[in-house]
Amino acid sequence: MKRRALLLVFAVLVLSALPFVVADPYWLHLLIMSIMYMMLAASVDIIYGYAGQLNLGQAAFAAIGAYVTALLMLRLHISYWVAMPLSGLGAAFFGLLLGFPTLRLRGLYLGIATMGFSEIVRLVLLTWSSLTRGPMGLPGIPSPTIGSFAIESKTAYYYLILVYLLITIFSIQRLVNSRVGRAWIAIREDETAAMAMGIDTARYKVMAFSLGAFFAGIAGSFYAVYISFVSPDAFKMMDSYLIFAMPAVGGMGTMLGPLIGALIIYVLPEATRVFSDYRMLWVGALLVVVMVSEPRGVLGGVASLIERSRRARQES
Amino acid sequence: MAILQQFAQQLINGLVIGLIYSLIALGYTMVFGILGFINFAHGDVYMIGAFLGLVLLGTGAFNFAAAMLGAMILTAVVGVAIELVCYRPVRRFGKGFEDAMLVSAIGVSIFLETLAQVIWGTETHPMGLVIPKVVYQVGGLYISSLQVLIALVSIGLMIVLHLFVTRTVTGTAMRATAQNTMAARLMGISVNRIVAVTFAIGSFLAAAGGMLVGAYFDAVYPLMGWTAGIKAFTAAVLGGIGSIPGAMLAGVIIGIVETLGAAYISSAFRDGFAFIILILTLLFLPSGLFRVRRGEGKV
Amino acid sequence: MIRRILTVVLVLQFGLLGLAGYGFAQAAKGNLVVGVAGPLTGTSAQDGNDIKNGAALAADIINKKGGINGKKIELVFEDDRSDPKEAANVANKLANDKRVLAVIGHFNSSCTLAGAPIYNKAGVVEISAGSTSPAVSQAGPYTFRVIVTDAFQGDFVARWMVKDEGLKKIAILYENDDYGVGLKDVMNAKIPAYGGQVVAAESYYLGETKDFTPYITKLRALNPDAVFIGGLYNEGALIAKQAADVGWKPPFFGVDGLYSQALIDLGGKAVEGTRVAGFFHTAQPDPMVQQFVKDYKEKYKKDPGTYAAFGYDALMVVAAGIEKGGADRAAIMKYLTTLKGLKGVTGVNTFDANGDVIKDPIKLVVKDGKFQPYVKK
Repeated sequence: MKRRALLLVFAVLVLSALPFVVADPYWLHLLIMSIMYMMLAASVDIIYGYAGQLNLGQAAFAAIGAYVTALLMLRLHISYWVAMPLSGLGAAFFGLLLGFPTLRLRGLYLGIATMGFSEIVRLVLLTWSSLTRGPMGLPGIPSPTIGSFAIESKTAYYYLILVYLLITIFSIQRLVNSRVGRAWIAIREDETAAMAMGIDTARYKVMAFSLGAFFAGIAGSFYAVYISFVSPDAFKMMDSYLIFAMPAVGGMGTMLGPLIGALIIYVLPEATRVFSDYRMLWVGALLVVVMVSEPRGVLGGVASLIERSRRARQES
Repeated sequence: MAILQQFAQQLINGLVIGLIYSLIALGYTMVFGILGFINFAHGDVYMIGAFLGLVLLGTGAFNFAAAMLGAMILTAVVGVAIELVCYRPVRRFGKGFEDAMLVSAIGVSIFLETLAQVIWGTETHPMGLVIPKVVYQVGGLYISSLQVLIALVSIGLMIVLHLFVTRTVTGTAMRATAQNTMAARLMGISVNRIVAVTFAIGSFLAAAGGMLVGAYFDAVYPLMGWTAGIKAFTAAVLGGIGSIPGAMLAGVIIGIVETLGAAYISSAFRDGFAFIILILTLLFLPSGLFRVRRGEGKV
Repeated sequence: MIRRILTVVLVLQFGLLGLAGYGFAQAAKGNLVVGVAGPLTGTSAQDGNDIKNGAALAADIINKKGGINGKKIELVFEDDRSDPKEAANVANKLANDKRVLAVIGHFNSSCTLAGAPIYNKAGVVEISAGSTSPAVSQAGPYTFRVIVTDAFQGDFVARWMVKDEGLKKIAILYENDDYGVGLKDVMNAKIPAYGGQVVAAESYYLGETKDFTPYITKLRALNPDAVFIGGLYNEGALIAKQAADVGWKPPFFGVDGLYSQALIDLGGKAVEGTRVAGFFHTAQPDPMVQQFVKDYKEKYKKDPGTYAAFGYDALMVVAAGIEKGGADRAAIMKYLTTLKGLKGVTGVNTFDANGDVIKDPIKLVVKDGKFQPYVKK
């Protein structure tokens, strides 16, 4: 236990030093975006990896968070530090809204409903021009300020998103190891049995949706100030699919799975920008190859490797 | 044009596009009926069908009908290949890996779209004037020969499919597998073979849809599978996933609702109507219009 | 177990970052690097590639003559896929590449706008060869363009339709984005101002909407004298074709977005008679234009489109900036604010306080399968 804590501290220190190691601002930008995607991947993992509720529309919550921040900061000149939690809460509220009616849906049907919801959110953002300026988006979102210090440099944004990610991971781990987490896993494994055991599945399912939406909303609010421009196609359906694929590829229901998945799915195509036209070919092929060889994702694959070697050692 | 006339005209517009959604929806519904799996890549298969047809037409050796048939057959092969390479190996791992199948399907979709872009570029390709375009005037309504063709071909194909599924041995095997896979296996049906046949037929029909759309809009492009795919998928859900007549009817309903919505409510929110239908269906009528009874023991 | 995984993760991250250091192509020392950002894939790929070709041609010609002060121009191309998010990524990449002296980009107005804050913060000039939205005028001191605004073009076409041709009832079909909405707003203001009437305005989605039959049915019922298309060639062609399919042939008008050979390739007979405002035409008698057409044909084996001409002019402007201002980002920007009267193949380039240019459009019509100068009968 202590060793684990030490390792974690070590990892955090290394991550904190990264901006000074990375010479190229473009790569720092990639790093920042990939950490944001890690946060999104972790957020959808709450809903699917732990609670077992298929969610193919996570990007909508990020979009809501981004727009709430943009609108509050641009129209009402509210400080980022107030807008950000409000964005999370706003997204969580929509998570709640989505959670309730879909309580009766299971499996693939639920997934379909989330897809529909995600697309409706995008279309509303696109067509409600008086509020959102429709397709033109909201440019010129100001940088967050702490007193007289403005978060403008890439390094500053890096630390901000890193902190967000760490808080997200920490919160998720705490929840997972609590009664809430155990209820989720029970629901995931067999919902009917969980109900029979007296677990209020409705409450926990809605909780999963709201929490997942909350973190996605915060990630969205980060996006708003970092890129300083939001538009309805910032988070579309394809993004939802990719965000969903991240924990799937990395390993669902684990701490590191979503992070690994985000690295693979987001950084890899950007890193191979050299083959600009073909990079999505690799992403597509990669997804298939990973699923065909190890459907539990990278971490699942590592786990089976370890199991196998352990067994081999036992037998010898 | 009188109000009623305009309404009727819009109905026709909606009907035609709806029939195309139906054709594509059939692929979704059949695969889901048997595997309990949404083939995300199906919309892209439809797109590949259109491109293959374009290629065949381009050689100059085929007329439209021959090119369409050729494309349909080729696309059926593609569909089966995808199943064998990308889906079946995942099912090998047993139950509980729906997410892996979905991710694999997403991968296939991305791959096909990019492949099409790499091979044919991202621009829109015209299909060329392959069908004489005549405008019929029926009681003040304008109907183009293309619209008539689409109606005839799609309805014709659907009738053939219906006969196949109800009258042939393979068709009956398909229905049996969809109802209860375990029992079907016990009866000696090779489930794997039936799954392959299902994919083949679904892709076969999708390619027809692709060719017809390509000719109707005179536009073939790599991302065409995207929106059409989602709407066809909504049709499959609305119709009662697993139900073939359901998919046929639902496609038309969606086409009509969408067109009327675009004409009378908001053209910008056009695509949204399909999704509203989707959500309403899931909330209030999750088994769709035609409930399909499914037993235990899925693949 | 966690330790092993952590190690893997850390190695992954370091590995990827290590790649970063070596991943960047080492440019030949001493070259003048100019970025070219635009849609090389996606729905506007045709136009994006035209801009790329035009700029590349200009660079070639300059380099063949010995470059600028002995140094050669090197172009770096980036694809924004017409997606503002990609545009932001591309802008970051180019702005942070210290070798890049200026950027020609982007094409779609929403992409230019997405990139503008990034370019302006980094202090690198962004010259658009295709963004016509009025919003770009206010995008920042480092944002310029060699193409005129929609406000200007729209006004010209509105006058053409209502005053010159006497077409009073106009229906508008527009793209639901920066470009189209901007055009719609201009038309809504100018058409009535010239004595006409806008009978309907319907929007569609660039690259997505293919079925225009509901719009056609609806608009036809209102019996307009002409239809203004506030969008690009793909949709323009589809609209014309689908209208012709049901026997409706209203006069179609548009601005530079429709002005592309692709409109004719896709639209065929249905687009005969379509009228657009343009800034470049291969038949213009001006010797500079003719030389450009000749050089372009030699290099690319086809006629240049209007955006190739804009791309060419954009690079000429940048070259002037480097030559007269110096191979330094701030110096280039400063020089451009003073640039006046630089003749190009799309007109004379003089930047106003907002970095916009004023050029007079030409009236063009699709006749016999080609765009030709419009002559009123």
